[in-house]
Amino acid sequence: MVVREKHTSVGLAVELCGVPLKTPLIPASGTLSREALGEIEGVYGAMLPKTTTPVARDGNPPPRVAETPAGMVNSIGLQNPGIERFLQGLDEFDLGVPIFISVAGDTVAEFASLCEVLVGDNRVSAVELNLSCPNVECGGLAFCAGPASVEEVVTACRAAVPNKPILAKLTNEGVVENARAAESSGADGLTVMNTIPALTVDARARKVLVRGGLSGPAIKPVALRAVYDVSGVVSVPVVGSGGVVSGTDVAEFMLVGATAVQVGTASFVRDPHEICDEFTSYLKENGLSAAELTGALRSVRPATGDRGQ
Amino acid sequence: MKFYSVKVEEREELGSYTLLRYRWPQAPVEPGQFVMARAAGYPATLDPFLARPFSFYDYDGEVASLLFEVRGRGTALLDLASTIEVTAPLGKGFRIGSDLGRAALLGGGIGVAPLKILGRYLDALGVHHDVYLGFADAKSAVVAREFPGADVATMNGSAGTHGTVLDATGTLEDYGAIYACGPNPMLAAVKLAVGNESLCQLSVEERMGCGNGSCNGCVVPVRGGGYIRSCIEGPVFPADVLVW
Repeated sequence: MVVREKHTSVGLAVELCGVPLKTPLIPASGTLSREALGEIEGVYGAMLPKTTTPVARDGNPPPRVAETPAGMVNSIGLQNPGIERFLQGLDEFDLGVPIFISVAGDTVAEFASLCEVLVGDNRVSAVELNLSCPNVECGGLAFCAGPASVEEVVTACRAAVPNKPILAKLTNEGVVENARAAESSGADGLTVMNTIPALTVDARARKVLVRGGLSGPAIKPVALRAVYDVSGVVSVPVVGSGGVVSGTDVAEFMLVGATAVQVGTASFVRDPHEICDEFTSYLKENGLSAAELTGALRSVRPATGDRGQ
Repeated sequence: MKFYSVKVEEREELGSYTLLRYRWPQAPVEPGQFVMARAAGYPATLDPFLARPFSFYDYDGEVASLLFEVRGRGTALLDLASTIEVTAPLGKGFRIGSDLGRAALLGGGIGVAPLKILGRYLDALGVHHDVYLGFADAKSAVVAREFPGADVATMNGSAGTHGTVLDATGTLEDYGAIYACGPNPMLAAVKLAVGNESLCQLSVEERMGCGNGSCNGCVVPVRGGGYIRSCIEGPVFPADVLVW
C-alpha cells in the first residue's frame, strides 16, 4: 500500500529549516526576473529574487556575460534598486510559496542592517546571505573568504533576524571551513555553492572579455563535491547549487546531501518545468520521495575514498 | 525559458549571411522583436550552452525568418540544423506611427535584418521610406538585393558608396523618423548624425544570456545613470534614452 502510494502520488515536498517546500527546487538568486514569473508556476518550492543591497547599484558596465564550454561567465555586479524599492515590488514574487530574500553588503554592518529591515516583514520566510562580495573594509580582499569574516557576518545577522531562518551562501574556496564557521555562528542552513571565479579572453581583440563567475553544467562536479564534503561535517541542511540542468542533476545533489536544490543558469536555456518533470519521473521510477533522497549516499563511503590526486 | 522545436522550412545563402525560415503560427511578431534560437538537440548538446538572439527578418503570419552570420559554434550549428529551437517573440520592437512623414531605415551588416519586416509594416501603413545599408564588403552586401531601391555602402568600396552607411545617406534632418540597427559604434554615429534624437530609434546588438530579463547581462547605459536590459526594455530604444 505504501509502495503503491509512492508510485501514484510522488512526494516532492521537503522541509528546509522548518519551512515546508512543495518541491525541493528554488531559483538561484539573480536568475529569475519578474518578467519570467509567468513561466514558472508550480515548479519552485520557494521564491528567491535577485540579491538586494542597502542602496541601489548600477552594476558593472557591459560586456557582462560570455559563453564558455558548457557554461557562462557573468559579471553583473549586483545591479539592484536597493532594499527599499526592492521590497516595494516584492508582492509580485508572491506565487503562493515561501519567499526567501538574498542580501549582500560590503560590510558586516551593511549585512546586519539588511536583516534588520527584513526582520519585521512577514512576507519573508528566510534570508540568504550572499557571502561573496568584494570587501571594502579589507582593501579589496574577498569579503567572507575566510571563516573569521563568515563568522562575523553570520553572527551579526543572526542577532538582527532571530525569528527567520538564515542560509549562508558560500563560495567553493574554503567551503568546509566556512561552512563550519557559518553553522557555529548560528546559520540555519547553507547554500553550496556560488559561481566560481573565472575569466574569458578575446584573443582576437587582445582584451579581457568578462572577469566574473562561472556557472552552468561546467561547474556541477565541483558543486557536487562541495555539497558532499560540507554535508558530511555540518548538521544544518544544505541547499545544493551549481550547474543543475536536469532532473537527474537535482537527484544527484540530494543524494550527496542537499535538502533542496537551486536552479540558476539552466533556467535561461530550459523551461524549469522540464527539470521538475524529470525529477518527478526519477522519483517515480525509483519509488522514492524527494525527502528520502537527501544524504542517501552520505552513509556510503565511496570505494575510492578521498585518495584523490 | 520555454523553447519550441520547429523544422527549418527553407535555408538560403545570401553572400556572407544565411536566411532561415520556419513555421511560426503561435504568436504575432512585431518589427524589431527577436528570438533566442539554437540548433535542436538539447540536452545532448550542452556546449554551446546558451541560445543566441536574432532579430526577426520577416514574418507573414505563418512563416518567420531569421538572418544570421556564422560567427561561432552556436551559429555554425544553427546553419546546419534541420530542426531548431526558438522562443516566442521577445522584447520591444520599433514604435511605428502612420503620421511620421518620410522614414529612413539604416542598417549595418547583419543589423539589416529587422529592416525587412519594418519596411513591410511601413508599406502597409503607407509610410514612405528610404533604406540605407552599410556592409564590410561586397560579399556581405549580397543581402541588399532583398531591399530593392536601397542605397548601399561598403567599407572597402567593393560595392556601392565607399564608406559607412552614413556616407550613403546624406542629411537625415528631413526625415520624420529614423530607424537604425547595427553594431553599437554605428548606432552611436547615427545618434550623432540625426538632428532630433527623439525621432530616432535604435535597435541595439548586445551579448545576451537568457533573453527574458533574468540575467541582466545585456544591458545598455541610459541617460540619468545606470543600465537597462536590451532584452526587456529593448532591443529597440529611443535614441535619446541611450548614453553613447
